[in-house]
Amino acid sequence: MFFKKYGDFVVGIFYAILGIALIIGAKALPKSKVMEIGPDFMPTLVGVIILVLAGILLVETFSRFKANAAELEASGFKDTSDYKRVLGSLVSAIIYVNILKPVGFIVSTLVYLIIQIYILAPDNKRTKKDLIQYAIIDVVFTVVVYFLFRYGFKIVLPGGILAF
Amino acid sequence: MNALAQLGAAFLGVCQPVSIAFMVAGVAIGIIFGSIPGLSASMAVALMLPLTFTMEASLGMNVLVAVYIGGISGGLISAILLNMPGTASSIATTFDGYPMAQKGEAMRALGIGIVFSFLGSLFSFFVLSFFAPMLADVALKFTPVENFGICFFALTMVAILSSGNMVKGLLAGLFGLVFCFVGMAPIDGTPRFIFGNQDLLAGFNQLTTLIGIFAVADILISAEEMNAKGVQTIPVTKVKGFGFSMKEFISWLPGALRSAVIGTGIGILPGIGGSTSGMLSYVTAKNMSKHPETFGQGEPEGIVATECANNATIGGAMIPLLVLGIPGDGVTAMMLGGFLIHGLSAGPLLFVKNADVVYGIFAACMVCDLIMLVVEWTCIKAFVQVLKVPKHILMPLILVLCAVGAYATNNRVFDVQSIIVFGIVGYIYHKFKLPTTPFVLCFLVGSMTETYLRRGIMSYKSFGAFFTHPIFDFFWFVACGVLIWSVFKEFKAAQQKKTAAKS
Repeated sequence: MFFKKYGDFVVGIFYAILGIALIIGAKALPKSKVMEIGPDFMPTLVGVIILVLAGILLVETFSRFKANAAELEASGFKDTSDYKRVLGSLVSAIIYVNILKPVGFIVSTLVYLIIQIYILAPDNKRTKKDLIQYAIIDVVFTVVVYFLFRYGFKIVLPGGILAF
Repeated sequence: MNALAQLGAAFLGVCQPVSIAFMVAGVAIGIIFGSIPGLSASMAVALMLPLTFTMEASLGMNVLVAVYIGGISGGLISAILLNMPGTASSIATTFDGYPMAQKGEAMRALGIGIVFSFLGSLFSFFVLSFFAPMLADVALKFTPVENFGICFFALTMVAILSSGNMVKGLLAGLFGLVFCFVGMAPIDGTPRFIFGNQDLLAGFNQLTTLIGIFAVADILISAEEMNAKGVQTIPVTKVKGFGFSMKEFISWLPGALRSAVIGTGIGILPGIGGSTSGMLSYVTAKNMSKHPETFGQGEPEGIVATECANNATIGGAMIPLLVLGIPGDGVTAMMLGGFLIHGLSAGPLLFVKNADVVYGIFAACMVCDLIMLVVEWTCIKAFVQVLKVPKHILMPLILVLCAVGAYATNNRVFDVQSIIVFGIVGYIYHKFKLPTTPFVLCFLVGSMTETYLRRGIMSYKSFGAFFTHPIFDFFWFVACGVLIWSVFKEFKAAQQKKTAAKS
C-alpha cells in the first residue's frame, strides 16, 4: 500500500537529497589547475540534472496525488508480499558475506545455505525429511564448489578457520 | 581473391583432427568460464596460456582463440537460465532471455541465443578477414573526442529505454552514474566520494554490480511470494531443432544484420567493449521495433539483438588487435600476449610478413565459432536441467555462486559485500517501480564518458574544439535529436492521457 501511494514521493525526495549531496560533495573536491574541467565537473552536472528531474517528479506526483489515491482506494489493492522471508534472506545474506573472510568459505557456506533454504522454503516444505534433503544438498554443493574453484579454476577461496 | 585463397589454405591447416580436438576442449572450457559470473574470458585465456607454451605455434593460437570465443558466448547460458550475466557482455540478454525462461521457453531462448551468437561472430569474422586493414585505418581516426561522442550517444539511449515514464527512468539511470563517481577520478586520480574507505578507491566492479542488481535482487523479490506460491519449479517446454521456424528466422534477419554491424563497429574501437555494444544494439532494436512494449517481457528479438552484437564485437576487437597491435580490453590484451609468445608480430606489417599465421587465426575463429554452436546446442538439454531444481533451493545456491564469482574477480571480500549492496538497490528499485535497465546502461558507460570527455578536453583545450570533428558532430547531433524527439513524444503522450481522462 505504502509503495503504491507514496512511492513516487519517496523517490522524488530521495533524489532531491542525492542531487544536493552530490553538488555539495563536488564542491569539496579540488579544482583542476590545468584543465577547464576537473574531477568536480561531472558530479556537479549530474547533481544539477538529478535535482531538476526530482523537482519535476515531485510536482507531477503532487498534482496527481488526489486522483491517484482515489483510484488506488477504488481498486482495492492489497500488498500480499511476505516481508518476513525477504528480511530474513537479506539479514542472513549480509551476515554471510561478512563472515566469509574470518570464518572461511566452507564453514560459513555450510551454515548459510541451510538457513537460507529453510527461510525460503514454503511452510509445507519444512518437515524433517525435507531438512535432511537440504542438508545433503548443502554439504555436497559447498564441497564441490570449493574444490572445483581451488583445483579446477585455481582460485583459492577464503580458508578461515578450516585452512588447508 | 588472394584473401580467399589464403583463407582456404588456412582452413585446411586448421581442420586437422588433433587441432579440432584441442579446439573443442578449448571452447568447452571457455563456455564453462563464461557461464560462471566472476570467471571471465580473460581469466580462461590466462589459465590456458601456459598450457599452450609446449604446443606448436599455430595449435597454441587456435586453442587461445577457442577459449576466447567460448568464454564470450558462454555468458548467455546463465543470463537466460538464472538471470545472472556470466560476463558483462551478456547483460542485455537477461532482459528478454530470463522472462522467456520463466514462461517455460528456456530451450527456445537458448536456441535463439546460440544461433545468433554464431551468426554474429561469423559476420564479424568475415569482415575481419576481408576488410581488416581498411577498417584499422578508421579505428585510428577515433580520438577521445569521437569516443566521447559515442558514449554520449549511448547515454541518451536511456531516454528511449524509459519512454512511458521518462522522469523516473532518467532518475533511475542517473543513480547509476552516481555509482561511477565513487573511486578515483579519471586522468588525475583524485579520490571521490570514498568516505575514507580504502576499498572504495578502486570503485565498484562492473560485474559485481550487475550480479547484485540482477541475481541478488531477484532472490529477494522471489522471497516475497515463496510461501504463497508453494514449491516452484520453472516449466520447460521441449522444442525441436533450435526452437524457431524458418519464417521467424527470416523475419529476425534484418535486425540481426543491424546488430552485427553495430557489434563489429563498436568492437573496432578500442576501449568500448562488448557490454556497451550489446546494450546499444538492444536499445536500437527496441526503438526500431513496431512493438517496443514487448521488449523486456520475453521478446526473442531482444535476444537476437544482444547476442548478435556482443559476439560480433569479438571479430571487431581483433581488427585493431592484429593490425595495429592495440588491445581493446583485458581479454584482447591477454590474447595479444599469447599471440606474441607464439611468434606473431602484430602491427602494420602483419599482412605482409605473417599472412599465413593471420589467415590461420581467421580460419580458427570461424571453425571455433561452428564448434561453439555445436557444443552449446548439444548441451541445451543438460543446461535446462538446472531449472528443475525448486526455486527455494536454487536461489540460495545461486547466491553462493554469485558470492564466489564476485570474490574471484579481484580476490577481495569487498566485492562480495558490494553484491549485497547492489542487491538491495535492485530490490528497492523493484519496490518503487524504477526500471533497472537505465541504471545498468549508465553504470557501464558512465566512467568511460567522463574519461573520454576529460581526455578530449586535455588534448584539444576546449569543448568547442570537439565540433571540428565530423564523426563527433554526427553522434552529438543525432543524440541531441533523439533526446528532443523522445521528450516531445513523452510530452504528447502525457497530454493525450490528460484529455482522455477529462472526457
